[in-house]
Amino acid sequence: MNLLLGQILNGIATGMLYALMGLGLSLITGVLNIPNFAHGALFAIGAYFLVSVVGLLGNFWLGLLVAPIGVALLGLLIEYAGVRRLYAAGHDYQLLFTFGLALILNELIIVIWGPVGISHLPPAILRGGVDLGFTFYPKYRLFVMAMAGLLVVATWLFLEKTRYGAIMRAGIENKEMVSLLGIDIHWLFTVAFALGAYLAGIAGALTAPIRGLSPGMGVDMLGIAFVVVALGGLGNLLGAIAAGLLIGVAQAVVAAYWTEASTAVIFAVMAAVLLVRPQGLFGIR
Amino acid sequence: MRALVLILAAVVLLPFIVRPAIASEIWIFAIFGLGLNLLLGYTGLLSFGQSTFFGSAAYVAGYLLKHYAIGVFAALGIGVAVGAISALLVGYLCVQRSGLYFIMLTFALNQLFYFIAYQWTTVTGGEDGMPGVPRPAMLGIDFRDPVAYYIFVSVLFLLSLWLMKRIVDSPLGKILQGIRENEVRAEAVGYHVPRFKLLAFVIGGAFSGLAGVLYAMLFGIVPLEAIGFVTSGNVVFATLIGGSGSLYGPIIGSFVFIWLSESMSVVWARWPLLLGVAFIVVVLFFRGGVVEAWDRIWRFSKRTT
Repeated sequence: MNLLLGQILNGIATGMLYALMGLGLSLITGVLNIPNFAHGALFAIGAYFLVSVVGLLGNFWLGLLVAPIGVALLGLLIEYAGVRRLYAAGHDYQLLFTFGLALILNELIIVIWGPVGISHLPPAILRGGVDLGFTFYPKYRLFVMAMAGLLVVATWLFLEKTRYGAIMRAGIENKEMVSLLGIDIHWLFTVAFALGAYLAGIAGALTAPIRGLSPGMGVDMLGIAFVVVALGGLGNLLGAIAAGLLIGVAQAVVAAYWTEASTAVIFAVMAAVLLVRPQGLFGIR
Repeated sequence: MRALVLILAAVVLLPFIVRPAIASEIWIFAIFGLGLNLLLGYTGLLSFGQSTFFGSAAYVAGYLLKHYAIGVFAALGIGVAVGAISALLVGYLCVQRSGLYFIMLTFALNQLFYFIAYQWTTVTGGEDGMPGVPRPAMLGIDFRDPVAYYIFVSVLFLLSLWLMKRIVDSPLGKILQGIRENEVRAEAVGYHVPRFKLLAFVIGGAFSGLAGVLYAMLFGIVPLEAIGFVTSGNVVFATLIGGSGSLYGPIIGSFVFIWLSESMSVVWARWPLLLGVAFIVVVLFFRGGVVEAWDRIWRFSKRTT
């Protein structure tokens, strides 16, 4: 029983990270109306940036601050130099572009950081565990839960309570209208891409001390981000959180009893939900 | 007619130009592309999960070939059936959503099959792949001879091409193109659009399955990549670079893709990076595919001289 409770906590921590990934992807896909197959690669780059920055400056907190900003700048560049030229091109070419980008980033990771997995320790203050009564739980995972929760709330506040967030939501609903109101839609697209990339980057940076790093981490996460968006709906914040937690907890619980199936179960859960509710959890098409 | 003559000439000449194994791979990949193009070019459905059907067929038929010594035709039949059935399962979930959701779902379900293959090591061999797939002899012909197998593959390719031409020219093909042009109108005229999309999916899956079995027998192994997302992406790339607007596009694309990957893979172990660069160059500069690229280069050379 205690094992199960511990696993559920683990599931909530990873589920929050999945929600962050889905949220970032949802912003990019929703505002720009493109399939972003590079989202997983941005996640992986975030993790590797963290390791490099920590190695260089010796400070985890600086790494956590700088790495996602680096990824956001990369996102800015990608949108400005490439994606921007493709808005009229159709999903097939947009997909090929982002997929090609994912291949390049993935191989660059192998070239720069090597093909072998890297493990990364959390900062000294977050090592070890705390006694929660029913189980002894790693401090770092609690930190991830809090951090991811904070980011989700911050994103929510930004989207719901600020003028820029309102423009962004309007952009998801109706791009022509936003543009007609005199708002520079290209600027909006660039910011949305950078923001989505930032969320992917920080999710990657937060994941590094939990699971370690490997060149394949991006692709695995890409599929998961797609699941979150398919179940939660584009631009639906609550949907992303619910979907992220659902698959995170399902994965953690299955991992306790049948480790081999723990990744496949994410996609199996999605298939099961879609069988019952083809329109996703909250029925947004 | 001219296209047919060109293709027949290519079938005859190709094994004299490249190794028979590579020549076979080109036609196998072309069959795979034909299946995708029914979705992408004719129905307007961008599936990023075609390796699900390709890989499933390769694994199932390869396993039966290896452990139960089934015949070649049985293997082909089983491969086509596995491709169609897996496409039915995946398609059923995907066709209910459209646009970007559709693309993401095909990829996510591809990942489901990938992770099953990855973890079910007792059957699939996991990361090491499933080696030892035989090429049994049939009617006294020894298919272990690469040229004999090449002839077998090219006959099947020509049959597939003929069949696909029949399909796209049939009333069914016209309905699918109608859906591509205007989904709402097709629905209004009285066609049950999701059902036709699903049918296209199943037919495309059957072609992918055929290609998967032929691939497993060609190399004698089913690598894990056969069911991975890179394979799904490659067939999309090949179809787009050849031009998804025509029946013959995927065939040209298959040539270009196999040539690109064969020549890049000897240059550098990290050749997917170069492939990614090729993807981006094509998207940014040669969006009309090979035909347009040729046109541009021709015009450019005329201007400079």
